[in-house]
Amino acid sequence: MLSNSNGITGGRTLPEGEALLSVRGLKKVYHTDGGDIEAVRDLTFDLGRGELVCLVGPSGSGKTTLLKCIAGLLSATSGEVLLDGEKVTGPPKKMAVVFQEYGRSLFPWLRVADNVELPLKNAGVPKAERKKLVEDALDAVGLSHVPRSYPWQLSGGMQQRVAIARAVAYQPEVLLMDEPFAAVDAQTRADLEDLIRNVWKKLGVTVLFVTHDIDESIYLGERVIILSSSPTVVQEDIVIDLPAERDQLETRSLPRFTELRHHVYAEIQKAKQGHRPEEAKTTFLTNPK
Amino acid sequence: MSTVTTTPARGKGARRKTTKAKVPNAVWGLIGILVFLGIWELLPALGIVKAEYLPPASEVLVTLAKDFTLTAFWLAVGETMLAWFIGLLVAVLLALVLGLVIGMSSFLRRATNSTIEFLRPIPSVALIPLAVLLFGTKIESSLMLIIYACFWQVLIQVLYGVADVDNVAMQTARSYGFSPFQRIRDVIFPTMLPYLMTGIRLGAAVALILAITAELIIGSPGLGKEIQLAQSGGAIAGMYALIVATGLLGVLINLGMRLIEKRILSWHVSVRGENIA
Amino acid sequence: MKTLKSLLYILALPVLLILWWILATAGGASFFVPTPADLVKTFIDTWIGERMFTDVLPSIRRLLIGVVGAIILGVLLGLLVGLNRTARAITEPVFEFFRALPPPVLIPVLMLLVGINDGMKVAVIISGAIWPVLLNTIEGVRAIDPVQNETSRSYGISGFARIRYQILPSAMPTIMAGIRQCLSIGLILMVISEMFASSSGLGFAIVQFQRSFAVPEMWSGIVVLGLIGVIMSFIFQWIERRVLRWYNGLKEVENAV
Repeated sequence: MLSNSNGITGGRTLPEGEALLSVRGLKKVYHTDGGDIEAVRDLTFDLGRGELVCLVGPSGSGKTTLLKCIAGLLSATSGEVLLDGEKVTGPPKKMAVVFQEYGRSLFPWLRVADNVELPLKNAGVPKAERKKLVEDALDAVGLSHVPRSYPWQLSGGMQQRVAIARAVAYQPEVLLMDEPFAAVDAQTRADLEDLIRNVWKKLGVTVLFVTHDIDESIYLGERVIILSSSPTVVQEDIVIDLPAERDQLETRSLPRFTELRHHVYAEIQKAKQGHRPEEAKTTFLTNPK
Repeated sequence: MSTVTTTPARGKGARRKTTKAKVPNAVWGLIGILVFLGIWELLPALGIVKAEYLPPASEVLVTLAKDFTLTAFWLAVGETMLAWFIGLLVAVLLALVLGLVIGMSSFLRRATNSTIEFLRPIPSVALIPLAVLLFGTKIESSLMLIIYACFWQVLIQVLYGVADVDNVAMQTARSYGFSPFQRIRDVIFPTMLPYLMTGIRLGAAVALILAITAELIIGSPGLGKEIQLAQSGGAIAGMYALIVATGLLGVLINLGMRLIEKRILSWHVSVRGENIA
Repeated sequence: MKTLKSLLYILALPVLLILWWILATAGGASFFVPTPADLVKTFIDTWIGERMFTDVLPSIRRLLIGVVGAIILGVLLGLLVGLNRTARAITEPVFEFFRALPPPVLIPVLMLLVGINDGMKVAVIISGAIWPVLLNTIEGVRAIDPVQNETSRSYGISGFARIRYQILPSAMPTIMAGIRQCLSIGLILMVISEMFASSSGLGFAIVQFQRSFAVPEMWSGIVVLGLIGVIMSFIFQWIERRVLRWYNGLKEVENAV
C-alpha cells in the first residue's frame, strides 16, 4: 500500500478511490520580468480521508505556493490536484484555509462571531443553523466568551483561534493550514498545536499543515512530507509512529520523537545543501524494538 | 494613483513581482485619452449634442494650440499663477507660524480647538461678496479667498505634524540642553515636514480652484476671467480651449507638487521611519 | 470638574473673540463691519421667514441631491473601474485631468449643455464633487490586502457579497476621506453656481445684498453659509466615527505598540 506507483517522483500514493486529496505531478512556474522562476517542479502525493499530514521544508521551498495550488487560489503550470476524484480549478467548497497572516485574513470591520459566520451566511446556511455552527466553533477553540469583540482587540494567538474557528465552522472535508503559528509566541503556539490535534480528532477532518518548524511537524503529524529546496520535489514521506495521545512534555521527551527529529533535521539539511532525491522514497524508519 | 502591479502570490517562493501585463500602463492610458477625445469628437458630429454647445475636440484643440501662440493667453496664465503663488505662500507662512505656536503648547491646542473646528468648514466662497466689497476686481480679491482656503489646509497638517513629534526625542533634546530654537529646528521641524508638504500639496490644488473661482465670479484678472469673457462673448470653442488649459495647469501643479514633495522628503524618509502600511 | 474645565476650553476663546468684536464696534459700527447686536437682528429678520423657503431650503435641497448623487455615482463607478486593472490603466490619465480641473469652470459648460435651471446646478455639483469620491474609491479598491482577497476566494465569498462584506468596508476609510472633500467642493459649487447664474438661492441672495450695499444682510448671509458648512462637517464627522469605528480602533491598537 505504501508503494510508489507508476514511478513518478513523489510521496506516497494511494490506490484510486482511497485518496481524498491527490496531488499529481504538480509544477508551478512564475513568469517574471527577470525570467521564469520554477517554484515547484514536480510534486506527487496523496492524502487519505481523515489524515493529519504536515508538510515541512526549508524556507523558500515553495510550501506556500504548493498550498495555494491545492487550495485552488493559484493555477498550476502543469499537473493537477484532485479532491475526491474531481479536479480542483478554483477554491472548492469542501476546503477551508487558515492563513499565516491571521491579522490580515480576519476582516477587521467584523466582530469575531460575524467573521466566523460570514462564509456560512454567504453559502446560504439557514440562520438558526448558522448560529449553532458559530457557537460550536468558537466553543471548540475556547473563544465562546468574546463573540462581540473585534479581532484587533484580541491577542495574536486568539486571533488565530478565530481564524481556525472560521475554518471549522465552514465544515470542510480538508483543512489547509499555511504556517498558521509562525507569528505567535512559543507558549501560545504549544496551546494552538494541541488545539489542532483536538479539533482534528473531534471532527475527523483531513488536515494538511504546512510549517517550517521540524518539531511542530513531528508533534502534530501522523505523517510528514519533507520537501526539497526550490525547485521543489518531495524529499521524503515518512510516517510518524508516535502514540496517538500527544502531550507537549511527554511526547516531546520520547526517544522516538528525538529520533524522528534527527532524521527530519538531517533530511532538511541535505535539502538545503541542494541534495535531491534520486527517486523519492517512502520510508518506515526501522523502529528499534 | 501610482503604477499598479499585481502580485498574485505573496508566498515564500514567489516574493518577486509577477507582471503578466503585455501592454504597459502608459499605453493603456494613451488609449484612454484617445477614446475620451474620440467620444468628444463624435458627440457633436453625430448630432447627439449641438456643435454650438460642444464643439468637436479637434476644433477645441486647434483653438488651444492657437492660444499657446498668443501673448494675451500667457499674460492671463501669468496672472492666475501670480495669485496662486502669492496666496499659497502667504497661507503657508501664516499657517506654519501659527501652527508651530499653537501646536507646541498643549494649552493653546486645547483652547483653540473649538474655534478652529468651527472656522475651518466655513466655505471660502462665502467671503466672495466681502472680497468684492473690499477690493473690487483687483488681485487682492483672489488673494483673500486663496489665503483663507489654503490656510486651514496647511494649519491642520502642521498641527498634526507637531502632535506627531516623538516624546522621547523631545525629552532627549531637552536633556541635552537644546535651546527652544534648536528644538524647533532639529526635532519638531523634521518630524513635521512630511505633514507640511502634504498640507502644501493639498493647498496648492485648493489655491488654483479659488484663483479660477475668483476670476470667474468676481472678474479679477486671469484665466477664469477669460473663460467668462469667452462665454459671454459666444466664443464657445475658445471657452472650451481655456477650460482645457486650466485643467492642464491643474495637472502640472499636481505633478510639480508631487515631485517637490518627493525631492524634499527623499532624504527624509529614513529619519521619519516611514511606515509602509 | 473635568467637564467644567473642558467646557471652559471650548468656550473661552470664542467668548473672548466676541467680546473683542463688541468692544471694537462699540464706538459705532463701521461701514464694513456691523455690531454683533445688529448682525443678530438682521440675521433673524432676513432668514427666519420667507427667505428660508425661497432661498435657503431650495439651496440645501440642491446641495443634498448633488452630493448624494456624486457619492453614489462615484462609489459605483469607482468599484467598476477599481476592480479591473486594465480599466484603471485606461482611465487614469483622463481622471487625473478631471481631478485637476478646477470644478467652477464646469459652470459655464453645463450652462450651455443643460441650460440655466435647477438641473444645471445639481449637474454642476455632481460633476465637480464626484472626482474625489471616484478616485478615492478606485485607490481604496486597488490597495486591498491580497490576503483578504484570498480569504474571500477560499471561503467562496464572491460577487455582490464580496463587494458588500469585503471590498466596500476595506476601502471605506479611503472612500470617507474622498466624501469629506466631496462635501466641501459640493458646498462651494452650490454657492457659486447660484452666484453665477441664478435668480434665487443663497448665493444669489448674498450677491444681491452685496450689490445693493446691504452690508449687515450680506454678513448674515455669510453666517448662514458658515453655519451650513459647520453643520455639514459635524454631521459628516458623526457618521464617519460610526462607519469607521473599527478602523479607528484598529489604528489605535497599532499605534500603541
